[in-house]
Amino acid sequence: MLQELGAQLRATSDELPTGLVSVAMERLRSATELLNWVRQTSVDPIGVPQLSNATEHAEHAAAALRLAQDAIAAYLAGLGLAAEAGAPPDGDYKAGLKEQEPAAAPEQHERQPPPEQLGPWWRARVEQLTGEAPPPPQQGGAPPERPANTAELLRRVAAGVRSGDRARLGRDLHGVNAATGLGLSAVTSPVLRRLAGDLLGHEPGPDDLQRLRGAAGGRVRSLLPGTPPAVLDTLLARICRTPQAEQTPAHPADSAVTASVLTGVLLARLGRDPETLDPGAPEPLRPRGVDA
Amino acid sequence: MASVAEVRAAVDAALQQVTEGQAAIQAAREKLGEAQQSLAAALDGSANDAVGAAHASLSQADQQLEECLGATLLAVEQAQTYTATL
Repeated sequence: MLQELGAQLRATSDELPTGLVSVAMERLRSATELLNWVRQTSVDPIGVPQLSNATEHAEHAAAALRLAQDAIAAYLAGLGLAAEAGAPPDGDYKAGLKEQEPAAAPEQHERQPPPEQLGPWWRARVEQLTGEAPPPPQQGGAPPERPANTAELLRRVAAGVRSGDRARLGRDLHGVNAATGLGLSAVTSPVLRRLAGDLLGHEPGPDDLQRLRGAAGGRVRSLLPGTPPAVLDTLLARICRTPQAEQTPAHPADSAVTASVLTGVLLARLGRDPETLDPGAPEPLRPRGVDA
Repeated sequence: MASVAEVRAAVDAALQQVTEGQAAIQAAREKLGEAQQSLAAALDGSANDAVGAAHASLSQADQQLEECLGATLLAVEQAQTYTATL
């Protein structure tokens, strides 16, 4: 009876929606990044303060969920079931890689036009970052296979990074629409922190900034010769939870593309296949620290 | 300098991200409700402090998600008002 209760409580704790809340936070941060870029041309706040407020609430919700998990663990410990109450596998970082179901949009979104006028804007920026021009339009024959969603794009980018093929990287990034490409910002954030942690052998902190920069910076710059150095620095600082100096908001495509390439570089440093980013793939073994 | 079309499209892309965030929040709230029910069923009437703390934290999480959703709705409204003026 006691064992059954323990199992039920552990299941409840494991199934708390920490991954979904993490996805929400990253989507809201990504949206804020885009709107911050737009704000450079306007005095209108364009909803940025409200989005920051929303992100803060999501962060508080995530903290409350962790507290609930701690409380359940404490209760189990009180029942003498602590030894069996192992921590659930940390799969939250994969939550954003799951294919999103069509959003059950609130009413106001029904009037929203599809965000697909950004194609030339996206491709121009990809060309600037990678140095690879968009592929010419296909003359007959089957069109090139395109990533269906952001998670698939990330796996393709990681495969391009692994092979060191900048032309392929450029083709894959040019081959998606802007919404799919910009989604890389949201999807990569928890993945980057997890991969960096696996590479370092511990949760990344401010002291790890130089080490990560040394492990990944050169490869990222060689694959993305046009990326501003500040973009990579900002991404690494976020991974290491290091305070960042106030700076002009980066071009949203820069953050998205650089984050995806950095993901590929860290995966390669860990010797992992890009398919390990598939949410259905088995959880990779966490090394005790790989020499970065 | 971005063109009006680019600005409008960038706002739309941001709104798409917000929509996906809202969907995740709604899904999280559903799962949270299930967890609250499951916890209540398993520990009905327990006066244990840890149980009380777990219930309180889950309620707090749900409240924060509700406020999060409300803030996103305001943000969307403001962004749409902005694009209407372009």
